[in-house]
Amino acid sequence: MAARFRAPGFYRAALMMLGGVLFATALTWIVRMATGHATFHHYLSPDAILTVSLIAVPLAFLVGIGGFDYWFYWAAGRATRPEDHSSHGASSWKDYFRINTDHKVIGVQYTVNSFFFLLVGGLIAMLMRAQLAQPGSHFVDGNTFNGLFSVHASLLIFLFIIPVFAGLGNFVIPLMIGAPDMAFPRLNALSFWLLPVAGLMMLGSFFAPGGAFADGWTAYAPLSVNAPIGQTFFALGVQFAGASSIMTALNFLVTIITMRAPGMSFFRMPLLVWANFATSLLVVIATPFIAASQFFVLLDRALGFNFFNAAKGGDVLMYQHVFWFYSHPAVYIMMLPGFGIISEVIAVKARKPIFGYRMMAFSLLAIVGLGFTVWAHHMFTSGMAAWIRIPMAITTAVIAVPTGIKIFSWLATLWRGVLHLDTAMLFALGFLTTFTLGGISGVMLAMVPFDIHVSATYFIVAHIHYVLFGGSLMTIYAGVYYWFPKMTGRMYDERLGKWHFWTTFVFFNLTFGPMHILGLQGMPRRVSTYASQFADLNLFISIASFGLGLSTLLFIYNIITSWRGGPRAVGNPWRALTLEWQVSSPPPVFNFDRVPTVVGGPYEYGVPGAVHGIFAPAPSPTVADAGAGVVHAPSQ
Amino acid sequence: MEAASIPHPAAHAEHEHHGPPAANRSSRVEPQLLGMLLFIISEIMVFGAFFTAYFFIRIANGDPWPAHGTTLPVGVAGMNTAILVSSSFTIHWAEQAIKKGNHLGLKAGMLTTFLLGCSFLFIQINEYANIGFAPQDAAQQTIFYSLTGLHGAHVFIGLLLLLFVTIRAFRGHYSPEEHRGVEVPGIYWHFVDVMWLVVYTTVYIL
Repeated sequence: MAARFRAPGFYRAALMMLGGVLFATALTWIVRMATGHATFHHYLSPDAILTVSLIAVPLAFLVGIGGFDYWFYWAAGRATRPEDHSSHGASSWKDYFRINTDHKVIGVQYTVNSFFFLLVGGLIAMLMRAQLAQPGSHFVDGNTFNGLFSVHASLLIFLFIIPVFAGLGNFVIPLMIGAPDMAFPRLNALSFWLLPVAGLMMLGSFFAPGGAFADGWTAYAPLSVNAPIGQTFFALGVQFAGASSIMTALNFLVTIITMRAPGMSFFRMPLLVWANFATSLLVVIATPFIAASQFFVLLDRALGFNFFNAAKGGDVLMYQHVFWFYSHPAVYIMMLPGFGIISEVIAVKARKPIFGYRMMAFSLLAIVGLGFTVWAHHMFTSGMAAWIRIPMAITTAVIAVPTGIKIFSWLATLWRGVLHLDTAMLFALGFLTTFTLGGISGVMLAMVPFDIHVSATYFIVAHIHYVLFGGSLMTIYAGVYYWFPKMTGRMYDERLGKWHFWTTFVFFNLTFGPMHILGLQGMPRRVSTYASQFADLNLFISIASFGLGLSTLLFIYNIITSWRGGPRAVGNPWRALTLEWQVSSPPPVFNFDRVPTVVGGPYEYGVPGAVHGIFAPAPSPTVADAGAGVVHAPSQ
Repeated sequence: MEAASIPHPAAHAEHEHHGPPAANRSSRVEPQLLGMLLFIISEIMVFGAFFTAYFFIRIANGDPWPAHGTTLPVGVAGMNTAILVSSSFTIHWAEQAIKKGNHLGLKAGMLTTFLLGCSFLFIQINEYANIGFAPQDAAQQTIFYSLTGLHGAHVFIGLLLLLFVTIRAFRGHYSPEEHRGVEVPGIYWHFVDVMWLVVYTTVYIL
């Protein structure tokens, strides 16, 4: 038994977390005694203990699960021990609940964990639509409703869209560039375990005194400074999720720069690698800003600082500038990896080279650059200096250009292609439709007078769901279906997949399309009830949204049954050229027996004699000739 | 990273367990070095966000700086600046020493750097104790404590790294061939120094 508490794992983590609570209690007690809280009654403050615990307990959990073991070992002054890859691979589902340094295991951990939070966030949305089905209903009370939409947005942004892309990238990128693993495998393992911590903190805020954080995922000061303790769960949860993003982004950048296979120049990289390269740059540069904005809120809340106390010279507008300087680039963090996925899927399923490969890569970099120049378009009605609106409106309109380049390049790739309309391709085409609609309403919102008219209405809700659901989530579904055979070694049920697409696509548009009309008519967002004139459309939206929720069950059922008992997948079911498809499904524990050599572009479909990667003659039968597109038997 | 470049002894365990092939090195830059440089970009942006707050509170609001009735100990902090800057030179000396195989120079350099860093932090804390205002007083005091405190936290992290490196140096871990373990924390320490020059200039002098 004692050995269980010494070895890394959940037992040790539980013990450490208990220690974390005791530490927080002791620390706040001592500090409050030392700093003039005179009476014994004040020595123990539940709020203070909770705040410190929210930092100490997650860290204690990470120590207990074994995330820091190697660095403790290093800090103790012992000889460095290279990662020996002995923990690679997973033989049972239990292995996914341990620290593991294999990028393929971590990729699956990331993806499954993210989809768990998608389901939770989706269920919360169902509760909200139940409340909004009729005006003046009392399904939940107003404060709970505010908590619901805040947690819904925070979970889906910080625990679903951002990390699920990191998860797919984690699995695919080392394979795509011909590397045996990520550059920093231990950091990779730690970065995953930060995520469930952050997610459970945000969910846990529902049990905090005063309810969950209820001022939206934007947490504007000074509202967030005076909110109940649930707000601290958000401010600290974001720190853990953000730390995880930054670690993964560093890892991606270093892996992509230093570990590409021989011959894989930057302009022979698949566009998914380019997309994650661009995204990682955004994460590294922008994420510290949201961390800082929540530090400010936390310092104001916990220690009585005056960042946002206008009576003492603080500046509340500063919060919005700092927050949006992260959170606008963050919408590209949530979109660029999806662009990469769509490029892969469309080129393979249309059997054509991607149109304008270099422009596709450059437009990603253009979005990275321009993404930092548009943040104040979220603040047209905030009361900032009016002249800032004009340059921000112009840059916002300009950033539609590189995005438009990508849309037209995909359309040109489809032109006269041999389209294979399977589930992944359907989602890619669905993405092109809905994301373009979301992009157009985005350009409308860049226009200052129009933005002022629809600010804080359902038009905004419609727009963000057209780009994040119709954009990001469609690409995520496309990517999950596309790489499902590679990740699990099984084929999914194509018929169920198509049902999933059509129900999702139809109910998505029925749910979010009418919200544009509601917004134009002036229905405010983020309120638990509304004027009776909006009742009919809201009832319609609620019913459609339940259909959208049910369509997700098709996906879950398909994935679970296919993973358990689907037909075995061959190594390269889509006849793709990129390197990840040239190994068995699932890939061997060490990816490649020999590092491949890249001799051509990744998308030369239909070009006679085109070769992307070649493998030197290797002893293992799992390595096939890449260029010929040979479909070979699975490794089992 | 490390693992990929380590050749595995082919003689034993070929059947039960063999590692992956060594990754191709597609860049001359060391992965650890690159990772640290990218991390420093993130760190600069953290300071950038705090400087944004500083900009809004000090410049956009236009209140007098330092706030009425408060003075900033420019001279003491200047001394402290000299201490921190000199520690950048001593760690550079330590790196040069180990590149030539001079273990005594490495140990002396690391120990000096560590002690200089500790005195910087000690003087900083002492300054907080005697400065006569608190972050709770008003926004200007808040931003003073936040910027210097954020930097102090970075000095603390840097000192932890230096402590580990010093312990390892005394245990004889580094060699002219393998000194990344000194170099990479060294870059972080240089960053902490340069960032202090920016903080000192904007907060105390301007």
